[in-house]
Amino acid sequence: MLLLQLLVNGILLGGMYLLLAQGLNLVFGVMGVVNLAHGAIVTLAGLFTFWFATTLHENPLIVLPVVLVLVLIVGAFVQRLLLEPLAGAGRKAELLSLMVTFGLSYVLVEGALNLFGSQYVSLPDLQTTWRIGGLAVNEALVASGLLGAALSGALQLWLNRTASGKALLATSQNQIGALSCGIDVRRMRAVAFAIGAALAAAAGVLLILVIPLAAPTADTLTILAFVIVALGGLGDYQGAALAALLLGVVQSFVGYYLGGDAEYVVPYLLLIVFMILRPQGLGKSGRPVWSERR
Amino acid sequence: MPNRMSLIRPLYPIALILAASGLASAPASAAGPIVIGASVSETGPLAVDAGYHLRGLELGVAEANAHGGWLGRQLELKYYDDKSEPGTAVRLYTRLLTDDKVDLLIGPYSSGITQAVAPLANKYQRLMIDPGASLPDIFSEGNHWNIQGVATSTGYLEGMLPLAKEHGAHNVAILSLQSAYSLACGKARQAQADQLGMHVVYTTTYALPQPDFSAMALAVKNANPDVVIACSYYPDSVGLTQALQRIGFAPKFLSETIGPAEAQFTSALGPLSDRVISNTTWWSSLKTPGNAEFIAAYKAKYHEDPDYHSAATYSAIEALGAAVKATNSLDQAKLRDWLFKNTVPTVQGTFKAGAQRGRDGVQAIYVPDPGERP
Amino acid sequence: MSLEERRIETVFQPPLAADRSSAARKRRALTAGATAIVIAAAATVPLFSSAYLLQLATDIVASIALAYSWNLISGFTGYLSFGQVAFFGIGAYATAALVLRTPIPWYFAVIAAAVLSGAIALALGTVMLRLRGIMFALGMLGLARILGVVAQNLTFLGGAVGLTLPAELTPVPVYLAMIGAALFAFALNAFFAHSRWGLAAMGVRDDEGAAVALGVPTVRVKVASFALSALAPAVVGGLVAWNRSFLDPPSAFDPTLDLQVVVFTLFGGIGTLWGPGLGALVLMLVGEQLWAFLPELQLALYGILVIAVVLAFPGGCVGVLNRFGWLRRRPILAPAVLPRIDRPPSEAREGGAVLEVRDLTVRFGGVVALDRVSLKVERGETVSIIGANGAGKTTLFNAITGFVAPSEGSVLFEGMAVAPIPAFERARRGIGRTFQIPRLMESMTVWENVLLAASNGRRADRAVEQAAWALEMAGLAALWLETAEKLTPGRQRRLELARVLALDPKLVLLDEVMAGMTREEQDEIRAVLRRLKHFGVAAVAGVEHVISAIADLSDRMIVLDQGRKIAEGTPETVLRDPQVIQSYLGELQ
Repeated sequence: MLLLQLLVNGILLGGMYLLLAQGLNLVFGVMGVVNLAHGAIVTLAGLFTFWFATTLHENPLIVLPVVLVLVLIVGAFVQRLLLEPLAGAGRKAELLSLMVTFGLSYVLVEGALNLFGSQYVSLPDLQTTWRIGGLAVNEALVASGLLGAALSGALQLWLNRTASGKALLATSQNQIGALSCGIDVRRMRAVAFAIGAALAAAAGVLLILVIPLAAPTADTLTILAFVIVALGGLGDYQGAALAALLLGVVQSFVGYYLGGDAEYVVPYLLLIVFMILRPQGLGKSGRPVWSERR
Repeated sequence: MPNRMSLIRPLYPIALILAASGLASAPASAAGPIVIGASVSETGPLAVDAGYHLRGLELGVAEANAHGGWLGRQLELKYYDDKSEPGTAVRLYTRLLTDDKVDLLIGPYSSGITQAVAPLANKYQRLMIDPGASLPDIFSEGNHWNIQGVATSTGYLEGMLPLAKEHGAHNVAILSLQSAYSLACGKARQAQADQLGMHVVYTTTYALPQPDFSAMALAVKNANPDVVIACSYYPDSVGLTQALQRIGFAPKFLSETIGPAEAQFTSALGPLSDRVISNTTWWSSLKTPGNAEFIAAYKAKYHEDPDYHSAATYSAIEALGAAVKATNSLDQAKLRDWLFKNTVPTVQGTFKAGAQRGRDGVQAIYVPDPGERP
Repeated sequence: MSLEERRIETVFQPPLAADRSSAARKRRALTAGATAIVIAAAATVPLFSSAYLLQLATDIVASIALAYSWNLISGFTGYLSFGQVAFFGIGAYATAALVLRTPIPWYFAVIAAAVLSGAIALALGTVMLRLRGIMFALGMLGLARILGVVAQNLTFLGGAVGLTLPAELTPVPVYLAMIGAALFAFALNAFFAHSRWGLAAMGVRDDEGAAVALGVPTVRVKVASFALSALAPAVVGGLVAWNRSFLDPPSAFDPTLDLQVVVFTLFGGIGTLWGPGLGALVLMLVGEQLWAFLPELQLALYGILVIAVVLAFPGGCVGVLNRFGWLRRRPILAPAVLPRIDRPPSEAREGGAVLEVRDLTVRFGGVVALDRVSLKVERGETVSIIGANGAGKTTLFNAITGFVAPSEGSVLFEGMAVAPIPAFERARRGIGRTFQIPRLMESMTVWENVLLAASNGRRADRAVEQAAWALEMAGLAALWLETAEKLTPGRQRRLELARVLALDPKLVLLDEVMAGMTREEQDEIRAVLRRLKHFGVAAVAGVEHVISAIADLSDRMIVLDQGRKIAEGTPETVLRDPQVIQSYLGELQ
C-alpha cells in the first residue's frame, strides 16, 4: 500500500511536470531554440492569475482563455521582433537565440518582480483529497496532471492531424523542404513560438493552483522543464511524457526513503546520468545531445 | 581623427574625479546631526520584508527626534539600497564607514546579508546592532562588535516541545529548510528533544524551491510523531501543511516557523491554517513598554500594521538610544560595553546582550486562538 | 547576403584585411599605450581612494577577470557556458577550506584553489564538452546548481550555514591580487588571439566538424580552453571569500554573476581581445551611477542590453570600433609579405594501395546506406566515384575519414586499419577531404583557414611556409588576407583545396568539388587537381556528379547505387554500362 501510494504520488507529480514542460519541445523542434524564458512565462502567468483571483475575487480559471490569447499575440510579436532576425541555420544562430531568450527571461522576471513582488504566492483552491481504497489522491495534482496530459494530447492531435499542424511538423523536420512545399516558414516559426509561449502561460495559470510560485525562482522552472525535455529527447513529445513520469516517480520514492535534499537533487542527477548513458533521451525520435562530431 | 581617439582615452581622469569626490565628503561634524547608517534591501527579492525593517527604523528615528534627539542633537538616518545582494551591502557599509563616516550603524535585513557585513564591524571595530539576523553563528566566537537585535533562531519554537510534553507527546519529527537560520533552529530543537527525553522519529532537510511535499509527508506519517516541527520559511510551510492534510495525517501538534506569521498563510490555507502553531518574536498584544504607542504611531504614519521586522528595528533604535544617553558619548567601545552590561526595555521585550553576545529575546509561540502568553 | 545572415556572421569579427597603413600602426601604438596607462592607474588606485572606492575598484577588476575567462570558452571556442559561477564557487570554497584547516596563507590558498578548479574543469570538460552547444550551455547552468546543493549538504564546508573566515583587513593586497588575476585572464586572451592555439579554438567555434577534417584535435582544444577558463574565476572567488571573511552557498554560486559576465562580454564584444575588459569596465562604472536612478530595473536593463547587442550590434563595442579601424584583430601569424615557396615536385613513393575498403557496411537505424562496398585506390591513381543521389557516396567518405562509424567491414589506409584512429588523427596522417558545401571558417581570413590546416604537428615557421605554399598551389596567394566567406563560390572551393593541400595529404577525397562551378572555375580546379600528384599526393578519390569535368582526369571510375557498388572500370567502359545508365535514368524504354 505504501509503495502504491508512492507510485500514485509520483505519477501525479509527473503529470505536473508534463504540464510544466509543455511548449518547450515545440519551440525547440521548429526553431532549434531552447526558450530560456519559459519559466519566466510560466511564473508571470501564474502570478497574474493569483492577482486576478485574489484582487478581483473571481474564479482563476476564467483567466485561462484571456491569458492564452494575450500570450499568443505577444508571443508572435516577440518572435518576429527578437528571434526572426536570427533564424538562420546552424549553431551560431542557435546560440544567439539562446542568448536572446536568456535576456528576455530577465526582462520578464523583472516585470514580475515589479508587478507582483518577490514573495511566493499560491491559491488555496483545489485542496481536497480523495480517498480511493486506502490511497490518498490529491485533487490539485490530479487536475494539473490531467490538464497536462490533455494539453499534450491536444498538441499531438493538432500536429499530426491538421494541415496547419502538419505544416509545423514539416518545418521542424526540414525547413528547406517545407519551403519548397510552399509552406510559409516564417509564419510557422512565429506560430510555433507563440503556441509554445501560450502553452507555458497555460501551465502557469494551472500550476498556481498546485504549487507556490515566485518571481525569483522562475529560472528553476526553466531548468526543470528543460531537464524533462532533454531526458525525453529534444523534440520528442512521447519521450517528454515518459521523462516527466520517470522524474515524478523517482522523486517520490527518493523523497520518501532519502529525504528532502535527495529529492531536490534528482532532476539534475538524472540529467547527468542520461547525458552520459543515453544522450538521445528516452524517446525514439529525439535528437541526441552529443555534438555531431567526436 | 581626434574624436576617434577620445573613444579610448584612458578613464584615469574619471577615476580621479570619483576619488576626489570620495575624499571630499565631509565627516559628520560634532555639532551636526548624529548619523545612523544602514543598508536596506529596497529592491530585490527581500524588498517586501525589508520594507517593514526600514519603516521601523524610520519610525524609531522620527520618534527619537520628536523627543529631542540624543545628546542634544537630532538623528539622521542615512541608508542605501543593497538590492538584496550581500556584495552590494558590503560595499555600502564600507562606504558608510569610510566615506560617509556615520556615527552609528544598524545592520541590514536578513541573516544572509548580515553575515556578509558582520565582519566589517569587527574589522573596523564599530558597534553594530543587527535587527535583521536571527542566525546565531554571526554572533559567536571571534565576534566582538555585532549584537543581535532580534531573537535568535535557535530559540524558535523553543516553547513547543515542553508544552507538547506536558500534554503527553513523546515522538517528534523535525524538518528543516536548507538555510542557515532554519538549520540552526532544527539542530537546537533536536538537542532540546534529546534533553527532554523525547524521541526524534524522523528528521529531514530540504531546499527551496520544492514543488511537492508528498513524499516527505508520507514519511512523516509513517513515523507517526506526536509533534511535528518544521523550521521553515513561507512557501514550504504552506506546502507541508497541505501535504500533511492530503495524506490524511494530523499530528497532535503541528508547528512551523516564519511562514504562519505571514498574512498570506491564512488566505492560502483557509481553515487549515488554524491547526498550525508558530513562533514570533513580537506581536501586537504583547504588553511591553511602549508597544501600544509604537503600533499607533506606525499605523498613523504608514497606514498599515507593523510586523515583527519593524518591531525589531524600532527596538534596536531604542536600545542604541539608551546606550548613547547612558554613556553620554558616541564612542563605539563604550557603547558596546554598556550594552553588554545593561538591559533596555523595548517594544520587543527586554533587550539584553547575553553571555554569547547574542540577545536573549522573547521567544514565544502562538496558537491561532491565543490567550495571553508571556 | 540577406540581412539575417550578415547579422549572424558579424558576431565573431573576421579580421579586416590587414591594415598596414601608418594610421593603423599609430592606432595600435595608441591602444597599447592607453592600456599601459589604464593598468598603471589601476595599480595606483589604493594610494588615493577611500576604502569604499577601493572596494568598488576591486569589484570592477573582478568582473573584468571573470569576463575575460568566460570569453575563453564562450567567445574564442564558441561553447556558450551559463555556469561560469561554478568555478567561482569552487575557488571560493577551496580557498576557505584551505585557509581554515591548513596553515597556508590566503594568497597561496587562492592559487591552490585555482589549480583545483582547473583540474575539476579538465575532468568535467571531457564529459560536458561532448554535448551540443545549447546542451552544454544548459548543462553548465545545471552544474552550478548542483554544486550549490552539494555545498549546502557538506557540513565540513559549512553546509547552508556557511564558513566564517578570519576577519583580517587586507583590502589593498586583495585588490592587487585581483589585478593580477585580471591580467592573467587578459594574457590568456591575448595568447588565444595571437597564437595557433587560439586559431584552433576559433576553428572549433566556427565549424567543429570541418576543424576535425583539418586535423585539429578538437576535443583537446575544447577541454583545455575550458580548463583555462576555470582558473581566474577560482582566484576571483577565493579573493572575494577572503575579502568578505564569509562564504555560503548562495553567495558562492550566485547566478547574477553569470548574467553579469554574459552581459559585460557581449556588450564589449564577445570573442575579441578587448571586448570583455571594455564591457566590464564601462558597464560597472555606468551601472554604479545609473542604479541610483533606476533601481527597480537592473535585471530588465541587463536583459534588454543582451537582446539589443545580439540583434543590433552583435560584435559589441569592439565591433563598432572596428568599423573605424580601432582594435581590429590581426590575422594570426600572418607574415608581412607572403613568402613564395618553391618546392620541387616530388612524386609519391612506390608502394601498395593507398586506400582499401573491405565489405564496408553502414547502417543508420533501419536504413542501409552502404552495403558491403569494397574498393581499392592504388598509388598514383585518380578515382572517380559516381552514382545517383542517395547512392551513399558521401557516407563512404564519412566512413573513410572517421565521421561515421561503419557497422561492418574495414577501411585500410596505406595498409593500416583506421578503425582505432580518431577522425582528426586520420586527417593528420594524410587523409584530406573537402565537403559538398564548402565549410570554411567564416570568422577567419583565407590565410588563417589554410594556416589552421598547415599547423598540425608543425613548428610555427614550417606551418607558415606550408600555408604559403598551399595558397600558391591553389592560386589564392593574392587573396590571402581576404575574409573567407566573402569569396566567390569558385574561390571558396579552391580555398578548400588549399586547406587540404596544407595538410600534406597522401590521399585526397573530394566531395563534389565541381558542383555549382562555372566552366572557368571548373578549369581552374582541374588545374589544381592535375598538380596534386606532383606534390606527394598519392591518390585522389572524387565523388562527382559533373562527370564531364572529371572523366578525363580519372584513371578509374566506380559506380555506387543504393549503397552497393555496381560497376568499376575505366571511364569509357563504365559510362556505357547499361546498369549504370539505368541507375541514373531509370528504366530504359
